[in-house]
Amino acid sequence: MSESKKSIRSEISVRKLHKSFGDNKVLNGIDFDLFEGEKVVVLGPSGSGKSTFLRCINRLEEPTSGEISFQDTPIDEKNVREMRAKIGMVFQHFNLISNLTVMENLTLAPVKLKRLDIVEAEKKARKLLRHIGLTEKADSFPASLSGGQKQRVAIIRALMMEPEVLLFDEPTSALDPESIGDVLDLIREVADNGMTIMIVTHEMNFAKEIASRIVFIDKGKIIEENTPDKFFSHPKTPRVQEFLKKVL
Amino acid sequence: MENFFSKIVELWTTPEYIDSLFHGFLLTIEIAFFAVFLGFLLGLIIALIETGKSKWLNPFKFICRVYVTIIRGTPMALQLFIMFFIIFAIRDFPQIITAVLAFAFNSAAYSSEIIRGGILSVDVGQTEAGMALGLSNFTIFTKIVAPQAIKNIIPALGNEVITVFKETAIVSMVGMYDLNMAAKDIGSGQNMASYVVPMFTAALFYLAVVYLISFVIKQIEKRMRKSDVRV
Ligand SMILES: Nc1ncnc2c1ncn2[C@@H]1O[C@H](COP(=O)(O)OP(=O)(O)OP(=O)(O)O)[C@@H](O)[C@H]1O
Ligand SMILES: [Mg+2]
Repeated sequence: MSESKKSIRSEISVRKLHKSFGDNKVLNGIDFDLFEGEKVVVLGPSGSGKSTFLRCINRLEEPTSGEISFQDTPIDEKNVREMRAKIGMVFQHFNLISNLTVMENLTLAPVKLKRLDIVEAEKKARKLLRHIGLTEKADSFPASLSGGQKQRVAIIRALMMEPEVLLFDEPTSALDPESIGDVLDLIREVADNGMTIMIVTHEMNFAKEIASRIVFIDKGKIIEENTPDKFFSHPKTPRVQEFLKKVL
Repeated sequence: MENFFSKIVELWTTPEYIDSLFHGFLLTIEIAFFAVFLGFLLGLIIALIETGKSKWLNPFKFICRVYVTIIRGTPMALQLFIMFFIIFAIRDFPQIITAVLAFAFNSAAYSSEIIRGGILSVDVGQTEAGMALGLSNFTIFTKIVAPQAIKNIIPALGNEVITVFKETAIVSMVGMYDLNMAAKDIGSGQNMASYVVPMFTAALFYLAVVYLISFVIKQIEKRMRKSDVRV
């Protein structure tokens, strides 16, 4: 049985996604595919629904209507936990578990979800901690870490689960300028290792550099989609032209 | 003054009085202990229902709201009367059980509000981090939310324990022989014929226990704060 055409796998596909909060229609019909190995940067003005879009993918928000599939399996209430384990997420405010040490933050999910036993998990955590230069913080509580350190721990916490996709929602927006670089370096490295990535960011230079595709959301709709080159040099819609004039 | 000291001596040298005092004290402790314990469990259940997210909880949430509103909106003494003279108006039914339940049902309403507040005070980002990792609701609650909520709950819950302990004094209104009743009995005409010493003695007993409870709560708080800054 030989498969002649090896098509690129769709990791996440979103169809006719709508999300309202009461009367506030935040997402108004989003169609989107994320393919294996892609680095998609999501841009858009504040309040356009970028975070909501990301949060609907792993069902931190329940979509009002529409379908979201992970590797061609629709995500529903029954399989959502299994799917979340394969779709990592990094938050703007890090969200390290404050009552657990760095080590416990890293090992909790893989051990609880029986991906690894505690010995393997700690070994793996130590390796990742060493990699980001925070070995000596293993037994510290998150409160004693700087913002940049917290976010790097949050990223390796997501990596502990060996996800197939990583979602980043403004991972550097809550950081001081000095630690932004460290976090971006780590994201770049994860991206270079082949991870499929979706990232909301306001770091335009980083977006240009890392993106394989840029998606622009306005008023809950994807209004423009392009390679970074074309997106930044030849924006098609007036809305994007105006946006770029402001941020560049 | 001389009379006052002689009354103290009289109280502490008459085995019958000492016996009454300690019997009353024991009953007070028993009622308060079991009421606080049961009230906490029931309060926890109410708080979990009220903070739960599943849709099927909605009718139960409504029941809990009504329950808490009624309990908090009516006098404890009346609740006690209703338990004694209506709900458990059963001949030979042990009075202590009726009393424990009356205080437990009352304390549950207040405890549930305290626990609910504690749970809601935990940053949603903490829950979302757990969800995003694929953890179960049970793990998220036991490993993340509950340990953080407890820190916010302990001081208020300590106050609730103290309140229940002192409020049990109203069981003397339904004729139970607690510490409060013992003081009245020992001071009455057939006994010492003076209320001052027995009542001040009872006050000291109450005070000592309240002090002890506050002390324990403070120690627990201190220990929890330590784990916050552990590096
Ligand atoms: N949980 C919620 N309840 C009610 N409204 C919400 C909720 N979350 C988001 N919204 C609303 O949805 C809209 C889009 O918010 P969202 O956070 O998705 O925007 P965003 O594009 O991420 O903006 P920003 O760049 O500022 O992060 C806003 O009007 C916001 O007020
Ligand atoms: Mg956002």
